[in-house]
Amino acid sequence: MTRPDNDDEATVAVIDDDPGIREALRGLLRSVGLHAEVFASVQEFLGAARPDLPGCLILDVRLPGRSGLDLQEELARANAQRPIIFISGHADVPMSVRAMKAGAVEFLTKPVRDQDLLDAIQLAIAKDRARRDEERTLARRGADFETLTPRERTVMMSIVGGRLNKQIAAELGLSEATVKVHRGNVMRKMRVRSLAELVRIADKLVPAHNRA
Amino acid sequence: MKLDRGGWSNFRAIAAYAVAVGSVAAALAGSRWLDIHAVTAPVSLLLCAVMFCAWFGGFGPGLLAIILSVLAFKYYYAAPVHSLAADVKEIPRIFVFALSALFAGLLSAAQRSAAQSFRRARDDLAGSVQELERSNTALLTENAERIRAEEALRNAQADLTRVARLTTMGELAASIAHEVNQPLMAVVTNADTCLRWLAKDPPDLHEAREAAERTIGAGHRASDIIRTIRALARKSTAEFTRFAINSAVSDVLALTSGELQRNDVLLETELSAGLEPVSGDRGQIQQVILNLTVNAIEAMTADSHSPRVLRVSSRMAEQENVLVAVADTGTGLDPTTADGIFDAFFTTKPDGIGMGLAICRSIVEAHGGRLWASPNSPHGSIFQFTVPVAGSDALNDPTR
Repeated sequence: MTRPDNDDEATVAVIDDDPGIREALRGLLRSVGLHAEVFASVQEFLGAARPDLPGCLILDVRLPGRSGLDLQEELARANAQRPIIFISGHADVPMSVRAMKAGAVEFLTKPVRDQDLLDAIQLAIAKDRARRDEERTLARRGADFETLTPRERTVMMSIVGGRLNKQIAAELGLSEATVKVHRGNVMRKMRVRSLAELVRIADKLVPAHNRA
Repeated sequence: MKLDRGGWSNFRAIAAYAVAVGSVAAALAGSRWLDIHAVTAPVSLLLCAVMFCAWFGGFGPGLLAIILSVLAFKYYYAAPVHSLAADVKEIPRIFVFALSALFAGLLSAAQRSAAQSFRRARDDLAGSVQELERSNTALLTENAERIRAEEALRNAQADLTRVARLTTMGELAASIAHEVNQPLMAVVTNADTCLRWLAKDPPDLHEAREAAERTIGAGHRASDIIRTIRALARKSTAEFTRFAINSAVSDVLALTSGELQRNDVLLETELSAGLEPVSGDRGQIQQVILNLTVNAIEAMTADSHSPRVLRVSSRMAEQENVLVAVADTGTGLDPTTADGIFDAFFTTKPDGIGMGLAICRSIVEAHGGRLWASPNSPHGSIFQFTVPVAGSDALNDPTR
């Protein structure tokens, strides 16, 4: 179980082939107390060991080798996405549409207003933090789910499927009293108080588990 | 004697025969008058009539005059007189007279025809001279026309050179805009950062100064880029100076770096150190390098699979020349059309005007150098050109 995130520990990764811009952005972020890691290329970024901290990416759309848009798609496929802020020399509409559709937080054109960039960074970090919280909760719930016996899992899926104890007992060939005991165990092990809560968790958990 | 078609000629012929009859009659009358009143048998008047007729009317009237004279001679001067019958003793005299008349007539007719052909020749000559004068005038007009056309062609070529350069610049505009925007972005961001450090309580002057210094550095970089572009887009008249070819090459490559990155082209440079300075128009030579570089990039992006390597090198070549080579790994030259690539209006690009390489070659040749293409190994092509080093003999007249 990971510890909760701390505001000071957010990192912003900057990928830009222009050393002047890398240094300028690193300086700007330092002035607002943010830690920046700068990379000259996507390859360099992918090759670096990244600390597991909340943060975001600032990407130039036009990068040597693989473009920023390609990296965005690759990170999305690897399910390792971080919120991305795109910076482009020229904002052409199809490019910005593609970026926003793929989940970019913001698409800014050079030269960038510092406040626009810092706002976007705050938003991106907040988004990343929320996503990480969500992931952590989900991981905890997943761990809870792992403690259930196979019979309890079957009962849980039937409950969230909207079946009554009587129906479940008939389907599984058990007494209604036994089903009630299983049901009590499920609610205790999954740390929920109401059926509604259990349904909500199951909704998130099941697709996540299927993916894994 | 000619029977011409025109009425005037007919009239002249008839008049000539009439003159023949008349002049023989007149000569006879004169002779008779003299014969009666003074001397005896002056037949030479008849010969004069024959000569006159042959001279005036030609061979036909002359012959008529001869016949008439001989008859008159027989009738009036040979025994028996006043009869056309001939005494045997008189035949030699008649024969001699006839022969003299024939001889005089033929001679006159021949002289007349010679005079006539001489006149004709003179007329022909006058006609030829007139013709010559006419064609001379036409030639002069044509020449003036050609000079004007040549002037227009030169102007058009100068315009095209400018257009071609602007087209090349236009193709690079996005890349150039990117190049200028990069330092501007750094300037703005660093200045913002500086203000942020100053606004803190207390202000962090050390950080603020560092940000201000970064601002200055980025500003200088922007101005360097703009200077390079301005050198390229300059006026079209050649301005010869001494310059280092390697710096000209590097400036162009710096301009195209955005284009190279965007198209995923790897750049390799091998610029020999210690090259002698060349003499020429730096902007024009840079235009050649730019054209060759853009062509190379286009040749490589046409084929998406092969590795894209642009190799630019410079070295000393024989006969006091500096050689620059631009090699690509692109589609290469089609051997069937390779000979024509330097011709005006030759293009393999759908939207090309086919002036780029033609202008490159004319620029290089105006500098006293050479531009040629050859295949690269294993694929692609190499474009190489030479420029004479400053002060060498191969250099052309700099006023060109």
